[in-house]
This record gives sequence, C-alpha cells and structure tokens, in this order.
Amino acid sequence: MASSLLVRSTLPRALTQRSILRSTAIQARHATDDAYNAAYIPGGPVYKGTVNDPTTFPPPSRANGSYHWAFERLLAASLIPMTAAAFATSGTAHPIVDGLLGVSLVMHTHIGFDSILVDYLHKRKFPIIGPTAKWTLRAATVASLVGIYQFNTNDIGLTELIVKVWHA
Amino acid sequence: MQSLLSRAPRLAPRHLPARAFATTSARLQAEPKPVLMKEFKIYRWNPDEPEKKPTLQSYHIDLNQTGPMVLDALNKIKNEVDPTLTFRRSCREGICGSCAMNIDGQNTLACLCRIDRDANKDMKIYPLPHMYIVKDLVPDLTLFYKQYKSIKPYLQNDNPPEKGEYLQSPEDRKKLDGLYECILCACCSTSCPSYWWNQDEYLGPAALLHAYRWIADSRDSYAAERKEVLQNEMSLYRCHTIFNCARTCPKGLNPAAAIAQIKLQLATE
Repeated sequence: MASSLLVRSTLPRALTQRSILRSTAIQARHATDDAYNAAYIPGGPVYKGTVNDPTTFPPPSRANGSYHWAFERLLAASLIPMTAAAFATSGTAHPIVDGLLGVSLVMHTHIGFDSILVDYLHKRKFPIIGPTAKWTLRAATVASLVGIYQFNTNDIGLTELIVKVWHA
Repeated sequence: MQSLLSRAPRLAPRHLPARAFATTSARLQAEPKPVLMKEFKIYRWNPDEPEKKPTLQSYHIDLNQTGPMVLDALNKIKNEVDPTLTFRRSCREGICGSCAMNIDGQNTLACLCRIDRDANKDMKIYPLPHMYIVKDLVPDLTLFYKQYKSIKPYLQNDNPPEKGEYLQSPEDRKKLDGLYECILCACCSTSCPSYWWNQDEYLGPAALLHAYRWIADSRDSYAAERKEVLQNEMSLYRCHTIFNCARTCPKGLNPAAAIAQIKLQLATE
C-alpha cells in the first residue's frame, strides 16, 4: 500500500518530466529538420514525414507495372506448350521452335532473377551492390542469348542437346 | 424472490479482487478442478533498458483457473503474476484487432486463439514479426497505418445522388463481402515475406485488400485513379502469391484473392 502510494505520488512528476523531455526532443527535431530527413532509412524506424502523412507512391509506369506482369505471366504460360512442342518435334527439323524455346527460357530466367534482385538487393537499400548485381544479371542474360544463338546455329541446338544428355 | 435474494451475495462474494475477468476463481467452481500447469514463454523487451537484449520469459499458469483463450492467459499473467507485461487488447471478441501477435509461430488474434490444453508443450508468444517493437508484445504500426491512409480508404464520388443515399444492387453489394470484414489487425501484412523485406515501398496484403475494397465498390467513381497509383514495381507487384496472408488471417479472409483481382484488372484494362 505504501509503495503504491509512493508510485502514485511520483507518477505525475515522472509524467511531467517525460513530457518536458519529449517537447525538447520535438524542438530539437524541428531545429535540425534537414538532418532529420537525411536520417531516413529505407524500411527503417525513421518515417518520411509525420505519422499522419500517408506514404507516397512512386511515379506510375505501366512498363514496370501491369505490362511487365502480363508479359511475365504470358511468357511463363507459353513455356508449357513450347516445352511440349520440343518433346513432340525434333530441334533440327524445326529450328525456329528450338530458338524460341531457348530465348523464352532465358527471358523467363532473367525475369525471375531480376525479381529476386528487386526484392533483396534494391538500389534504395544497396546503392552499390544493387546496380552491380543488376548489370551483372543483364550481362549474363545477353551472354546466354548469344551463347544460345551460337549453339543453335553452329551446333546441334538446345533440344538435341537435352535429348543427347538424357540418353547418355 | 426470497431465495434469489439470499443467493445473490454468494454469486458476487465481497472478498474477490476487483479485476478478475480473465480468471475463474477456484472459490466459484462447484468442485475444485485438478491443477493443469502450462508454461507460456513470452517475448519481453523493455525500451527503458535498450541495452538489454529481448528475452523469452516463462510464466506457469493453471489452465483450469484460466479462460480458454490466449488473451485470457495473458490477462491472468498481467493481473496476477507480472503487471509489467505489456500487450494491446480491447474487445476480447475478435473485432478490434488490437491483440494481434505471433502465437506458436502463427500470426493471430490472442482473443480468438484457443490455448492448447496439452500441458507438456509450452506456448511461445511473440509480437508480430519483423516490426519495430514499442514494448514486449506491442509493435509499432505507424507505417502500416500510413500505408492504409495512402490508398484513400473512403468513398470518392464527384456525382453524389441528388437526393438520399447511394443505391447499390445486391450483386454489387456482394462484391464487397470478404473485403469489408477486414479489421486491420496487421496479421497478414506481417506474415508476408515480401512485406518483411520491402515494407517501406510494398503496401502489404491488408492495405491492398482495402484498396480493392474501394476499387470494387460500385458507389466509388475513382477506381481508375486508385489503380493508376499501383502501376509501379513496388506498391502492388512485390506480391509473389505466397499466400501467407490468406493462411494467417484470423477473420478467414483472403487478401491474396483481392490482390489477384487488382492484378487482373490492371492487366486487362
């Protein structure tokens, strides 16, 4: 009982002390507004604006939005009949089908890896590693496309290779 | 009447403590039940001691002297064992969304989650994952609410009916079922790995479900604007259809379906 009384009597004092602390903190925040904005960490404890401001949206871009999504889905769906076609026909007889499958596979893989990079190595959080990884991926994709082209025109081609490896 | 009056004092004995809602007092039980002690391991972190790392603190509770839900156990601990334990709670019936927390690895509302009666297994209670913690089981939901505000969760219509209210066909009203029930407890968003990594840019299942709730509303005339702001890499398309949101929702809603509807509408407009 005595201790609770003590707590009760010290509570208002503690509260006023705390509110003084808080008001000085707010003043300090307004005094160094630029420094406060600079302290923003992506996804961090420091918010953009006040707690009552809504979050903002990046500028709308269909190429990054619905077009990208629709292309990705259509590509993924079209890989199923293309793979079936590669099973049904021979790559040597239908080089177009073979080439289309190669390009689609590489594009599909590129979009998948790119999605990983956007999720985990985005530029806003990793200003150096992020773009480096992105350009490494692009270089790898271009190299794969060139390699597939060379392989399909000058060698046995993708489908025949898989057939050979399968039966080896 | 006589018998009722004479029984009344026995129903509310004076020697009971005032705060005993979560507790079935042994004195009120017809015959004493056996003791069934269960261990609760609860995440503790005190902002007044920031240098101390968060710990799991154990509490042992007699389940036969406790209500059936996890929130009852938490209330019992707070009332009778450790008043410093901090958590949000309000309605105790799953309509306010305050007591969202991670119970045995699943985000859910403590008031809707039954206590497993197996006394051999402990029950682990953490705050909502990947959020900044205010204290113990209280996460900082500021960003979550800022994101909810950003989707303009209110009716926008430049041509209100001249007289009376907005009218809606039963079919149009049906489109809002499974959307309007969301209580914004943040269980789904905080269970989403995409939201864990990119919550500053990705809106998360809860905010997107509400975005679709207004896109789908026949009385709202700003669907195009609502959809236009989502046309970017981060706000909507960080959803990789993981379905953790639908799995965890304590209200049984399906935010993933709402997100899929937005994606379909954006792709086909």
